[in-house]
Amino acid sequence: MKKMMLAAAAILALGTPAFAQDSVRIATEGAYAPWNFLNDAGEPAGFEIALGNAICETAGLTCEWIINDWDSIIPNLLAGNYDLIMAGMSITDERLETIDFSDNYFPPDPSRFVAAAGANLDFAALSGARVGVQGGTIQAAYAEENLGGANTVVTFTTADQAMADLAAGNLDTILADGAYLDPVVTASNGSIEFVGEEVMIGNGVGAGIRKEDTALKAKIDEALASLKADGTVDALIAEWFDGMGPFFAE
Amino acid sequence: MSEDLAFWAGYITNGKHLTWYASFQFTVYAALLGGALAVVFGLTGATLKNSRFVGFRLIGSTYSSIVRGVPDVLFFLFFPLAFEQGVEWLVSTQVCSVESIAAQTAPWPPCREANWFLGTTEYLLLASVSLGLVYGAFATNVIHGAMRAVPAGQLEAARAYGMSAAQVLWRVHIRQMWVYALPGLSNVWMLIVKATSLLSLLQIADIVLWADRLGAPNFLPTVGLVHDDWRWRYYLVLFVFYILVTWLSERAFEALMRRTGRGILSEVPA
Repeated sequence: MKKMMLAAAAILALGTPAFAQDSVRIATEGAYAPWNFLNDAGEPAGFEIALGNAICETAGLTCEWIINDWDSIIPNLLAGNYDLIMAGMSITDERLETIDFSDNYFPPDPSRFVAAAGANLDFAALSGARVGVQGGTIQAAYAEENLGGANTVVTFTTADQAMADLAAGNLDTILADGAYLDPVVTASNGSIEFVGEEVMIGNGVGAGIRKEDTALKAKIDEALASLKADGTVDALIAEWFDGMGPFFAE
Repeated sequence: MSEDLAFWAGYITNGKHLTWYASFQFTVYAALLGGALAVVFGLTGATLKNSRFVGFRLIGSTYSSIVRGVPDVLFFLFFPLAFEQGVEWLVSTQVCSVESIAAQTAPWPPCREANWFLGTTEYLLLASVSLGLVYGAFATNVIHGAMRAVPAGQLEAARAYGMSAAQVLWRVHIRQMWVYALPGLSNVWMLIVKATSLLSLLQIADIVLWADRLGAPNFLPTVGLVHDDWRWRYYLVLFVFYILVTWLSERAFEALMRRTGRGILSEVPA
Protein backbone atom coordinates (compact mmCIF):
# COMPACT_ATOMS: atom_id res chain seq x y z
CA MET A 1 0.00 0.00 0.00
CA LYS A 2 2.78 2.37 0.94
CA LYS A 3 4.57 1.58 -2.32
CA MET A 4 1.40 2.13 -4.29
CA MET A 5 0.88 5.52 -2.67
CA LEU A 6 4.42 6.55 -3.47
CA ALA A 7 4.10 5.39 -7.04
CA ALA A 8 0.82 7.25 -7.42
CA ALA A 9 2.35 10.41 -5.97
CA ALA A 10 5.34 10.07 -8.27
CA ILE A 11 3.15 9.74 -11.37
CA LEU A 12 1.09 12.68 -10.25
CA ALA A 13 4.20 14.75 -9.69
CA LEU A 14 5.78 13.89 -13.03
CA GLY A 15 2.54 14.53 -14.84
CA THR A 16 2.52 18.21 -13.90
CA PRO A 17 4.42 20.50 -16.25
CA ALA A 18 6.81 21.47 -13.48
CA PHE A 19 9.87 21.17 -15.66
CA ALA A 20 8.69 23.64 -18.28
CA GLN A 21 10.44 26.99 -18.24
CA ASP A 22 9.15 29.63 -20.60
CA SER A 23 9.22 32.76 -18.48
CA VAL A 24 11.74 34.31 -16.14
CA ARG A 25 10.83 33.59 -12.54
CA ILE A 26 11.91 36.20 -10.01
CA ALA A 27 12.03 35.31 -6.35
CA THR A 28 11.45 37.86 -3.62
CA GLU A 29 10.85 37.67 0.10
CA GLY A 30 7.69 39.77 0.36
CA ALA A 31 8.51 40.89 3.90
CA TYR A 32 11.01 43.75 3.48
CA ALA A 33 9.09 46.96 2.83
CA PRO A 34 9.57 49.16 0.93
CA TRP A 35 11.89 46.92 -1.12
CA ASN A 36 9.38 44.15 -1.46
CA PHE A 37 6.23 43.34 0.47
CA LEU A 38 2.72 42.00 0.01
CA ASN A 39 0.21 44.79 -0.50
CA ASP A 40 -3.34 44.89 0.82
CA ALA A 41 -4.46 42.77 -2.13
CA GLY A 42 -1.95 40.11 -1.04
CA GLU A 43 0.20 40.60 -4.13
CA PRO A 44 3.93 41.37 -4.28
CA ALA A 45 4.60 45.12 -4.43
CA GLY A 46 7.38 47.58 -3.66
CA PHE A 47 10.48 49.12 -5.21
CA GLU A 48 11.94 45.88 -6.50
CA ILE A 49 8.65 44.65 -7.93
CA ALA A 50 8.22 47.94 -9.85
CA LEU A 51 11.85 47.87 -10.98
CA GLY A 52 11.77 44.18 -11.89
CA ASN A 53 8.68 44.67 -14.02
CA ALA A 54 10.34 47.65 -15.74
CA ILE A 55 13.47 45.58 -16.43
CA CYS A 56 11.42 42.73 -17.87
CA GLU A 57 9.45 45.13 -20.08
CA THR A 58 12.64 46.78 -21.38
CA ALA A 59 14.36 43.44 -21.98
CA GLY A 60 11.26 41.93 -23.59
CA LEU A 61 10.98 39.13 -21.01
CA THR A 62 7.86 37.62 -19.49
CA CYS A 63 8.32 37.67 -15.74
CA GLU A 64 6.61 35.97 -12.87
CA TRP A 65 7.08 36.68 -9.15
CA ILE A 66 7.63 33.95 -6.61
CA ILE A 67 7.60 34.43 -2.84
CA ASN A 68 10.36 32.47 -1.13
CA ASP A 69 11.67 32.51 2.43
CA TRP A 70 14.87 34.50 2.85
CA ASP A 71 16.96 31.66 4.31
CA SER A 72 16.39 29.34 1.36
CA ILE A 73 16.40 31.97 -1.36
CA ILE A 74 19.95 31.27 -2.66
CA PRO A 75 19.75 27.44 -2.48
CA ASN A 76 16.46 27.48 -4.38
CA LEU A 77 17.98 29.74 -7.06
CA LEU A 78 20.82 27.24 -7.49
CA ALA A 79 18.34 24.37 -7.60
CA GLY A 80 16.59 26.11 -10.50
CA ASN A 81 13.25 26.88 -8.84
CA TYR A 82 13.55 30.42 -10.25
CA ASP A 83 16.02 32.40 -12.30
CA LEU A 84 16.52 35.68 -10.48
CA ILE A 85 16.54 37.02 -6.92
CA MET A 86 15.38 40.57 -6.28
CA ALA A 87 15.06 40.74 -2.51
CA GLY A 88 17.14 43.66 -1.28
CA MET A 89 20.20 41.43 -1.48
CA SER A 90 23.54 43.19 -1.08
CA ILE A 91 26.36 42.21 -3.38
CA THR A 92 29.13 40.73 -1.21
CA ASP A 93 32.28 38.76 -1.94
CA GLU A 94 30.94 35.88 0.10
CA ARG A 95 27.77 35.61 -2.00
CA LEU A 96 29.74 36.09 -5.23
CA GLU A 97 31.44 32.77 -4.51
CA THR A 98 28.12 30.96 -5.07
CA ILE A 99 26.06 33.19 -7.33
CA ASP A 100 26.49 36.11 -9.70
CA PHE A 101 24.84 39.52 -9.45
CA SER A 102 23.56 42.02 -11.96
CA ASP A 103 24.93 45.56 -11.76
CA ASN A 104 23.63 47.20 -8.63
CA TYR A 105 20.28 48.98 -8.77
CA PHE A 106 20.66 50.53 -5.35
CA PRO A 107 23.91 52.16 -4.25
CA PRO A 108 25.88 50.86 -1.24
CA ASP A 109 23.64 51.69 1.68
CA PRO A 110 24.98 52.19 5.20
CA SER A 111 23.66 49.77 7.80
CA ARG A 112 22.40 51.44 10.95
CA PHE A 113 21.42 50.61 14.50
CA VAL A 114 18.01 51.44 15.94
CA ALA A 115 16.78 51.22 19.52
CA ALA A 116 13.70 52.14 21.51
CA ALA A 117 13.62 55.86 22.33
CA GLY A 118 15.62 56.71 25.43
CA ALA A 119 17.69 53.52 25.44
CA ASN A 120 21.16 54.43 26.65
CA LEU A 121 23.52 52.24 24.67
CA ASP A 122 27.24 52.82 24.87
CA PHE A 123 28.35 51.83 21.40
CA ALA A 124 32.03 52.47 22.14
CA ALA A 125 32.00 49.45 24.46
CA LEU A 126 28.77 47.62 23.79
CA SER A 127 28.42 44.57 26.00
CA GLY A 128 25.62 42.46 27.37
CA ALA A 129 23.18 43.83 24.79
CA ARG A 130 20.72 41.79 22.77
CA VAL A 131 21.34 42.69 19.13
CA GLY A 132 18.68 41.67 16.60
CA VAL A 133 19.52 40.90 12.95
CA GLN A 134 17.85 39.04 10.11
CA GLY A 135 19.54 35.67 9.58
CA GLY A 136 21.79 35.27 6.54
CA THR A 137 22.20 39.01 5.96
CA ILE A 138 25.35 41.10 5.73
CA GLN A 139 24.39 42.63 9.08
CA ALA A 140 24.16 39.18 10.68
CA ALA A 141 27.71 38.39 9.57
CA TYR A 142 28.93 41.81 10.74
CA ALA A 143 27.22 41.59 14.14
CA GLU A 144 28.50 38.06 14.75
CA GLU A 145 32.06 39.13 13.95
CA ASN A 146 32.20 42.51 15.69
CA LEU A 147 29.66 42.30 18.50
CA GLY A 148 29.30 38.57 19.00
CA GLY A 149 31.68 38.08 21.92
CA ALA A 150 30.35 40.51 24.49
CA ASN A 151 26.71 40.63 23.31
CA THR A 152 23.98 38.23 22.32
CA VAL A 153 23.21 38.30 18.61
CA VAL A 154 19.63 37.17 18.00
CA THR A 155 18.74 36.19 14.44
CA PHE A 156 15.24 36.42 12.99
CA THR A 157 13.66 34.91 9.89
CA THR A 158 12.30 38.26 8.72
CA ALA A 159 13.23 41.84 9.54
CA ASP A 160 9.62 42.49 10.60
CA GLN A 161 9.91 39.89 13.36
CA ALA A 162 13.04 41.62 14.65
CA MET A 163 11.12 44.92 14.73
CA ALA A 164 8.26 43.24 16.59
CA ASP A 165 10.68 41.97 19.24
CA LEU A 166 12.33 45.38 19.59
CA ALA A 167 8.88 46.89 20.10
CA ALA A 168 8.13 44.20 22.69
CA GLY A 169 11.31 45.09 24.57
CA ASN A 170 13.08 41.79 23.94
CA LEU A 171 15.93 43.41 22.06
CA ASP A 172 18.19 46.32 22.91
CA THR A 173 19.04 47.22 19.34
CA ILE A 174 18.68 46.10 15.73
CA LEU A 175 21.25 46.34 12.96
CA ALA A 176 19.72 46.53 9.46
CA ASP A 177 19.85 48.34 6.11
CA GLY A 178 19.48 52.11 6.56
CA ALA A 179 17.01 52.26 3.67
CA TYR A 180 14.81 49.70 5.41
CA LEU A 181 15.01 51.39 8.83
CA ASP A 182 14.59 54.98 7.63
CA PRO A 183 10.82 54.87 7.00
CA VAL A 184 10.31 52.72 10.11
CA VAL A 185 11.96 55.34 12.33
CA THR A 186 10.02 58.14 10.62
CA ALA A 187 6.69 56.35 11.00
CA SER A 188 7.29 55.31 14.61
CA ASN A 189 6.68 58.90 15.80
CA GLY A 190 9.77 58.96 17.96
CA SER A 191 9.32 55.61 19.70
CA ILE A 192 12.20 54.11 17.70
CA GLU A 193 15.37 56.09 16.97
CA PHE A 194 18.70 55.71 15.24
CA VAL A 195 21.59 55.09 17.62
CA GLY A 196 25.33 54.61 17.24
CA GLU A 197 27.31 55.00 14.06
CA GLU A 198 26.56 53.99 10.51
CA VAL A 199 28.35 50.90 9.29
CA MET A 200 29.29 50.50 5.65
CA ILE A 201 28.94 46.89 4.50
CA GLY A 202 28.23 45.46 1.03
CA ASN A 203 28.55 46.82 -2.49
CA GLY A 204 24.99 47.88 -3.16
CA VAL A 205 21.96 45.81 -4.00
CA GLY A 206 21.69 43.78 -7.19
CA ALA A 207 19.70 40.93 -8.68
CA GLY A 208 21.09 37.47 -7.92
CA ILE A 209 21.64 35.19 -10.93
CA ARG A 210 23.12 31.73 -11.36
CA LYS A 211 26.74 31.90 -12.56
CA GLU A 212 26.07 29.91 -15.71
CA ASP A 213 23.19 32.17 -16.83
CA THR A 214 25.47 34.65 -18.57
CA ALA A 215 22.95 35.42 -21.32
CA LEU A 216 20.27 36.38 -18.78
CA LYS A 217 22.77 38.49 -16.82
CA ALA A 218 23.72 40.37 -20.01
CA LYS A 219 20.05 41.05 -20.79
CA ILE A 220 19.30 42.29 -17.28
CA ASP A 221 22.42 44.49 -17.14
CA GLU A 222 21.60 46.01 -20.53
CA ALA A 223 18.02 46.79 -19.52
CA LEU A 224 19.21 48.13 -16.16
CA ALA A 225 21.76 50.40 -17.87
CA SER A 226 19.10 51.94 -20.10
CA LEU A 227 16.72 52.38 -17.14
CA LYS A 228 19.50 54.08 -15.17
CA ALA A 229 20.30 56.35 -18.13
CA ASP A 230 16.70 57.47 -18.68
CA GLY A 231 16.17 58.17 -14.98
CA THR A 232 13.65 55.39 -14.30
CA VAL A 233 15.71 53.78 -11.54
CA ASP A 234 16.26 57.11 -9.78
CA ALA A 235 12.56 57.95 -10.09
CA LEU A 236 11.58 54.59 -8.55
CA ILE A 237 14.06 55.02 -5.69
CA ALA A 238 12.70 58.52 -5.01
CA GLU A 239 9.14 57.17 -5.14
CA TRP A 240 9.67 54.24 -2.74
CA PHE A 241 12.38 55.66 -0.47
CA ASP A 242 10.89 59.04 0.33
CA GLY A 243 12.82 61.22 -2.09
CA MET A 244 16.26 59.57 -1.81
CA GLY A 245 18.78 60.08 -4.55
CA PRO A 246 19.33 60.63 -7.38
CA PHE A 247 22.16 58.11 -7.57
CA PHE A 248 22.49 57.03 -11.18
CA ALA A 249 21.78 60.25 -13.14
CA GLU A 250 24.41 61.05 -15.76
CA MET B 1 -18.83 54.87 14.86
CA SER B 2 -20.43 53.64 11.66
CA GLU B 3 -17.43 54.99 9.76
CA ASP B 4 -15.18 52.95 12.02
CA LEU B 5 -17.28 49.86 11.41
CA ALA B 6 -17.16 50.40 7.66
CA PHE B 7 -13.37 50.85 7.84
CA TRP B 8 -12.79 47.66 9.81
CA ALA B 9 -15.24 45.72 7.66
CA GLY B 10 -13.22 46.88 4.66
CA TYR B 11 -9.89 46.14 6.35
CA ILE B 12 -10.67 42.57 7.30
CA THR B 13 -12.01 41.86 3.83
CA ASN B 14 -9.08 43.28 1.84
CA GLY B 15 -7.18 40.99 -0.53
CA LYS B 16 -4.54 40.10 2.06
CA HIS B 17 -7.16 38.99 4.57
CA LEU B 18 -9.18 37.14 1.92
CA THR B 19 -6.01 35.22 1.04
CA TRP B 20 -5.67 34.36 4.72
CA TYR B 21 -9.26 33.09 4.88
CA ALA B 22 -8.71 31.10 1.70
CA SER B 23 -5.59 29.53 3.22
CA PHE B 24 -7.77 27.76 5.81
CA GLN B 25 -8.59 25.32 3.02
CA PHE B 26 -4.96 24.06 3.02
CA THR B 27 -5.27 23.19 6.70
CA VAL B 28 -8.59 21.42 6.15
CA TYR B 29 -7.32 19.52 3.09
CA ALA B 30 -4.15 18.43 4.86
CA ALA B 31 -6.10 17.25 7.92
CA LEU B 32 -8.71 15.33 5.91
CA LEU B 33 -6.27 13.75 3.45
CA GLY B 34 -3.74 13.09 6.21
CA GLY B 35 -6.46 11.54 8.38
CA ALA B 36 -7.73 9.31 5.57
CA LEU B 37 -4.18 8.17 4.80
CA ALA B 38 -3.48 7.56 8.49
CA VAL B 39 -6.46 5.20 8.63
CA VAL B 40 -5.28 3.44 5.45
CA PHE B 41 -1.72 3.10 6.80
CA GLY B 42 -3.11 2.12 10.20
CA LEU B 43 -5.29 -0.64 8.75
CA THR B 44 -2.39 -1.88 6.64
CA GLY B 45 -0.01 -1.78 9.58
CA ALA B 46 -2.44 -3.53 11.92
CA THR B 47 -3.20 -6.23 9.35
CA LEU B 48 0.53 -6.78 8.89
CA LYS B 49 1.01 -6.96 12.66
CA ASN B 50 -1.79 -9.51 12.90
CA SER B 51 -0.45 -11.56 10.02
CA ARG B 52 0.47 -15.22 10.33
CA PHE B 53 3.78 -14.60 8.58
CA VAL B 54 6.74 -13.45 10.66
CA GLY B 55 8.03 -11.22 7.85
CA PHE B 56 4.80 -9.24 7.64
CA ARG B 57 4.53 -8.99 11.41
CA LEU B 58 8.07 -7.63 11.53
CA ILE B 59 7.29 -4.95 8.90
CA GLY B 60 4.16 -3.91 10.77
CA SER B 61 5.77 -3.62 14.18
CA THR B 62 8.95 -1.97 12.83
CA TYR B 63 6.81 0.69 11.12
CA SER B 64 4.71 1.45 14.19
CA SER B 65 7.60 1.51 16.64
CA ILE B 66 10.12 3.48 14.56
CA VAL B 67 7.80 6.09 13.05
CA ARG B 68 6.03 6.70 16.36
CA GLY B 69 9.36 7.57 17.93
CA VAL B 70 10.43 10.14 15.32
CA PRO B 71 9.26 13.71 16.13
CA ASP B 72 6.57 14.77 13.66
CA VAL B 73 8.35 18.05 12.82
CA LEU B 74 11.47 16.13 11.85
CA PHE B 75 9.53 13.65 9.74
CA PHE B 76 7.61 16.53 8.19
CA LEU B 77 10.86 18.09 7.01
CA PHE B 78 12.63 14.84 6.17
CA PHE B 79 10.05 12.97 4.12
CA PRO B 80 9.16 15.63 1.49
CA LEU B 81 12.84 16.52 1.02
CA ALA B 82 13.92 12.90 0.68
CA PHE B 83 11.03 12.20 -1.69
CA GLU B 84 11.80 15.26 -3.82
CA GLN B 85 15.48 14.39 -4.11
CA GLY B 86 14.62 10.75 -4.81
CA VAL B 87 12.37 11.79 -7.70
CA GLU B 88 15.01 14.23 -8.96
CA TRP B 89 17.61 11.50 -8.86
CA LEU B 90 15.32 9.13 -10.78
CA VAL B 91 14.59 11.82 -13.36
CA SER B 92 18.26 12.74 -13.62
CA THR B 93 19.19 9.20 -14.67
CA GLN B 94 16.92 9.73 -17.69
CA VAL B 95 17.28 13.37 -18.75
CA CYS B 96 20.79 14.45 -17.79
CA SER B 97 23.47 14.54 -20.46
CA VAL B 98 27.18 14.67 -19.72
CA GLU B 99 27.23 18.33 -20.79
CA SER B 100 24.29 19.34 -18.61
CA ILE B 101 25.88 17.66 -15.59
CA ALA B 102 29.13 19.49 -16.27
CA ALA B 103 27.23 22.79 -16.65
CA GLN B 104 25.55 22.40 -13.27
CA THR B 105 27.30 24.47 -10.61
CA ALA B 106 24.98 23.74 -7.68
CA PRO B 107 25.53 20.60 -5.62
CA TRP B 108 21.96 19.42 -6.30
CA PRO B 109 20.12 18.40 -8.53
CA PRO B 110 22.62 16.58 -10.81
CA CYS B 111 21.52 18.72 -13.78
CA ARG B 112 19.14 21.63 -14.27
CA GLU B 113 16.66 19.60 -16.34
CA ALA B 114 16.15 17.24 -13.41
CA ASN B 115 14.99 19.97 -11.08
CA TRP B 116 11.50 19.46 -9.75
CA PHE B 117 9.81 22.67 -8.71
CA LEU B 118 7.45 22.01 -5.85
CA GLY B 119 4.48 24.35 -5.66
CA THR B 120 1.80 24.57 -3.02
CA THR B 121 -0.20 21.62 -4.43
CA GLU B 122 2.81 19.30 -4.48
CA TYR B 123 3.89 20.31 -0.99
CA LEU B 124 0.34 19.91 0.28
CA LEU B 125 0.20 16.35 -1.08
CA LEU B 126 3.60 15.53 0.41
CA ALA B 127 2.58 17.09 3.72
CA SER B 128 -0.58 14.98 3.79
CA VAL B 129 1.37 11.82 3.02
CA SER B 130 3.82 12.72 5.81
CA LEU B 131 0.95 13.24 8.24
CA GLY B 132 -0.59 9.96 7.09
CA LEU B 133 2.69 8.10 7.58
CA VAL B 134 3.43 9.54 11.02
CA TYR B 135 -0.05 9.20 12.46
CA GLY B 136 -0.70 5.96 10.58
CA ALA B 137 1.89 4.46 12.95
CA PHE B 138 -0.23 5.53 15.93
CA ALA B 139 -3.37 4.31 14.16
CA THR B 140 -1.62 0.98 13.58
CA ASN B 141 -1.29 0.49 17.31
CA VAL B 142 -4.84 1.63 18.04
CA ILE B 143 -6.35 -0.61 15.35
CA HIS B 144 -4.09 -3.52 16.29
CA GLY B 145 -5.34 -3.31 19.87
CA ALA B 146 -8.95 -2.91 18.73
CA MET B 147 -8.70 -5.98 16.53
CA ARG B 148 -7.54 -8.03 19.48
CA ALA B 149 -10.46 -6.70 21.50
CA VAL B 150 -13.05 -8.21 19.15
CA PRO B 151 -14.41 -11.27 21.01
CA ALA B 152 -12.86 -14.47 19.64
CA GLY B 153 -16.31 -16.07 19.61
CA GLN B 154 -17.45 -13.67 16.88
CA LEU B 155 -14.60 -14.75 14.60
CA GLU B 156 -15.14 -18.39 15.44
CA ALA B 157 -18.79 -18.08 14.57
CA ALA B 158 -17.90 -16.45 11.24
CA ARG B 159 -15.51 -19.29 10.43
CA ALA B 160 -18.15 -21.79 11.42
CA TYR B 161 -20.41 -20.22 8.78
CA GLY B 162 -17.74 -21.20 6.24
CA MET B 163 -16.30 -17.74 5.59
CA SER B 164 -12.78 -17.57 4.16
CA ALA B 165 -10.01 -15.87 6.12
CA ALA B 166 -10.42 -12.69 3.99
CA GLN B 167 -14.18 -12.69 4.52
CA VAL B 168 -13.76 -13.05 8.26
CA LEU B 169 -11.29 -10.15 8.22
CA TRP B 170 -13.42 -7.77 6.16
CA ARG B 171 -16.97 -8.71 7.11
CA VAL B 172 -16.61 -9.42 10.81
CA HIS B 173 -13.24 -8.55 12.26
CA ILE B 174 -12.75 -5.03 10.81
CA ARG B 175 -16.48 -4.19 11.03
CA GLN B 176 -16.60 -4.95 14.75
CA MET B 177 -13.17 -3.49 15.43
CA TRP B 178 -14.28 0.14 14.85
CA VAL B 179 -16.19 0.34 18.08
CA TYR B 180 -13.00 -0.39 20.03
CA ALA B 181 -10.78 1.70 17.76
CA LEU B 182 -12.80 4.92 17.53
CA PRO B 183 -11.90 6.42 20.92
CA GLY B 184 -8.20 5.93 20.14
CA LEU B 185 -8.60 7.09 16.56
CA SER B 186 -10.32 10.27 17.68
CA ASN B 187 -7.18 11.03 19.70
CA VAL B 188 -5.02 10.40 16.64
CA TRP B 189 -7.30 12.66 14.61
CA MET B 190 -6.88 15.49 17.11
CA LEU B 191 -3.10 15.07 16.88
CA ILE B 192 -3.32 15.32 13.08
CA VAL B 193 -5.40 18.48 13.34
CA LYS B 194 -2.80 20.00 15.62
CA ALA B 195 0.05 18.97 13.35
CA THR B 196 -1.52 20.86 10.42
CA SER B 197 -0.13 24.02 11.99
CA LEU B 198 3.27 22.87 10.68
CA LEU B 199 2.34 23.40 7.02
CA SER B 200 4.26 26.68 6.78
CA LEU B 201 7.48 24.70 7.32
CA LEU B 202 6.99 23.42 3.77
CA GLN B 203 6.64 26.84 2.12
CA ILE B 204 2.86 26.52 2.13
CA ALA B 205 1.31 29.94 2.77
CA ASP B 206 -0.98 28.53 5.45
CA ILE B 207 -3.04 30.13 8.22
CA VAL B 208 -0.10 30.38 10.62
CA LEU B 209 2.20 32.05 8.10
CA TRP B 210 -0.48 34.58 7.17
CA ALA B 211 -1.32 35.24 10.81
CA ASP B 212 2.38 36.05 11.30
CA ARG B 213 2.52 38.29 8.25
CA LEU B 214 -0.76 40.11 8.90
CA GLY B 215 0.04 40.57 12.57
CA ALA B 216 3.61 41.83 12.09
CA PRO B 217 3.87 45.51 12.97
CA ASN B 218 3.71 47.83 9.98
CA PHE B 219 5.28 51.28 10.01
CA LEU B 220 4.79 52.25 6.37
CA PRO B 221 1.61 53.87 5.06
CA THR B 222 2.55 52.73 1.52
CA VAL B 223 2.33 49.12 2.64
CA GLY B 224 -1.09 49.41 4.27
CA LEU B 225 -2.59 50.22 7.64
CA VAL B 226 0.07 51.34 10.14
CA HIS B 227 -0.24 49.26 13.30
CA ASP B 228 1.72 47.74 16.20
CA ASP B 229 2.42 44.09 16.79
CA TRP B 230 -1.00 42.53 16.31
CA ARG B 231 0.06 38.92 16.10
CA TRP B 232 -1.83 37.87 19.24
CA ARG B 233 -5.13 38.97 17.67
CA TYR B 234 -4.51 36.75 14.69
CA TYR B 235 -3.31 33.87 16.86
CA LEU B 236 -6.54 34.26 18.82
CA VAL B 237 -8.52 33.66 15.63
CA LEU B 238 -6.46 30.49 15.06
CA PHE B 239 -7.22 29.38 18.64
CA VAL B 240 -10.92 29.80 18.02
CA PHE B 241 -10.64 27.96 14.71
CA TYR B 242 -8.87 24.97 16.26
CA ILE B 243 -11.32 24.86 19.18
CA LEU B 244 -14.18 24.89 16.69
CA VAL B 245 -12.58 22.03 14.77
CA THR B 246 -12.18 20.10 18.04
CA TRP B 247 -15.83 20.63 18.93
CA LEU B 248 -17.01 19.56 15.46
CA SER B 249 -14.72 16.52 15.55
CA GLU B 250 -16.13 15.41 18.88
CA ARG B 251 -19.67 15.65 17.51
CA ALA B 252 -18.64 13.72 14.39
CA PHE B 253 -16.94 10.98 16.38
CA GLU B 254 -19.97 10.62 18.66
CA ALA B 255 -22.16 10.13 15.59
CA LEU B 256 -19.66 7.66 14.11
CA MET B 257 -19.58 5.76 17.39
CA ARG B 258 -23.37 5.45 17.41
CA ARG B 259 -23.33 4.27 13.80
CA THR B 260 -20.55 1.67 14.12
CA GLY B 261 -21.84 0.55 17.51
CA ARG B 262 -25.30 -0.44 16.35
CA GLY B 263 -26.13 -3.78 17.93
CA ILE B 264 -22.84 -4.09 19.83
CA LEU B 265 -22.52 -0.82 21.72
CA SER B 266 -24.55 -2.21 24.60
CA GLU B 267 -21.95 -4.96 25.03
CA VAL B 268 -18.98 -2.60 25.24
CA PRO B 269 -18.23 -1.61 28.80
CA ALA B 270 -18.52 2.15 29.05
